[in-house]
Amino acid sequence: MTDNTNQTNTESMEVDAKLLAKVLDMRANRLSMRTLKQLEDARMRAVRLHEQKTAGIVNTGTGTLGRLFYWAEHHRTFVTGMILTILVASLIVIQLNSYKVDTDAMLLGSELPPEAFVDRGFEPSLNQRVNFDEPEQVTSIKV
Amino acid sequence: MASSQELSDFLRNIERRAFKQTVYAVRDEHVALDIVQDAMLKISEKYADKPVEEYPMLFQRILQNTMRDYWRRQKVRNLWTSLFSSFSSGDDEDERDPLETIDVEDASKDPMAQLERGQTMQLIERALEKLPTRQREAFILRYWEDMDVAETASIMGCSEGSVKTHCSRAVHTLAVVLQKQGLGMKAITQLGVES
Repeated sequence: MTDNTNQTNTESMEVDAKLLAKVLDMRANRLSMRTLKQLEDARMRAVRLHEQKTAGIVNTGTGTLGRLFYWAEHHRTFVTGMILTILVASLIVIQLNSYKVDTDAMLLGSELPPEAFVDRGFEPSLNQRVNFDEPEQVTSIKV
Repeated sequence: MASSQELSDFLRNIERRAFKQTVYAVRDEHVALDIVQDAMLKISEKYADKPVEEYPMLFQRILQNTMRDYWRRQKVRNLWTSLFSSFSSGDDEDERDPLETIDVEDASKDPMAQLERGQTMQLIERALEKLPTRQREAFILRYWEDMDVAETASIMGCSEGSVKTHCSRAVHTLAVVLQKQGLGMKAITQLGVES
């Protein structure tokens, strides 16, 4: 008896639910022209993408390059970050190289041998010599 | 593997229901359009090699996941907008487009009947929108998308028992809400729907 009541309730619930679903269906068929157009555009875009995927024109992921592009397209942030890092690293390397070239040119163009600049005691010694070269003021003349 | 024509037919068949289903969930037509479009692109991009028979379940799963992604983003965005809401003037609301109000398929010529029908449908839609998310999902998948309990459970990521409970509660709540509005199932049948 209880089983029959439960079954009848379930059936009646299913019927009510189907009825409501049909109302929703009717409502879905009353969309505005603009919405329908936008849905159609979205559908066309999806179908075009599907055609490209199945025809293997773009990023099919079948070849090595294709897989690479496909991967890059789905990890845009990571790829952009990597490119920026490479650019910054290249700039730093170029700057360091140009500094080295300038230093080399300065060392080669100088009258002194390059070893002189490496020697730590050279600069104080050079300064002392400069002081030596200055003419001393004669304070008294010895006879 | 599904052909492009099969995909096109499938999408044409489900696009209106998918759109309305998303509108009930997110309550914003523009956002709903974006979500449906995303779901369409995802299914054609990632599941191009799947047979067309698998598309209904795949599409529903993608749609549900895209909605969840939207809610997650919205949660973060709401945090920031609530912080800066005092600075907004509220003048940036869109003007209403006359195209939005045109009904496409309404053969009935009596304006009063059209109005009554429209109002009844709106009441049903509002009642559906007010359902808890899981109950609404279960109701839509089970009865509108006509999926069986196992398929619905698989899409929702829960047990079959939970689906049955959600569906039963949803139908019960809808019936109670519509009764309160003076709308019994008889009135709904009078909309021209055959059970």
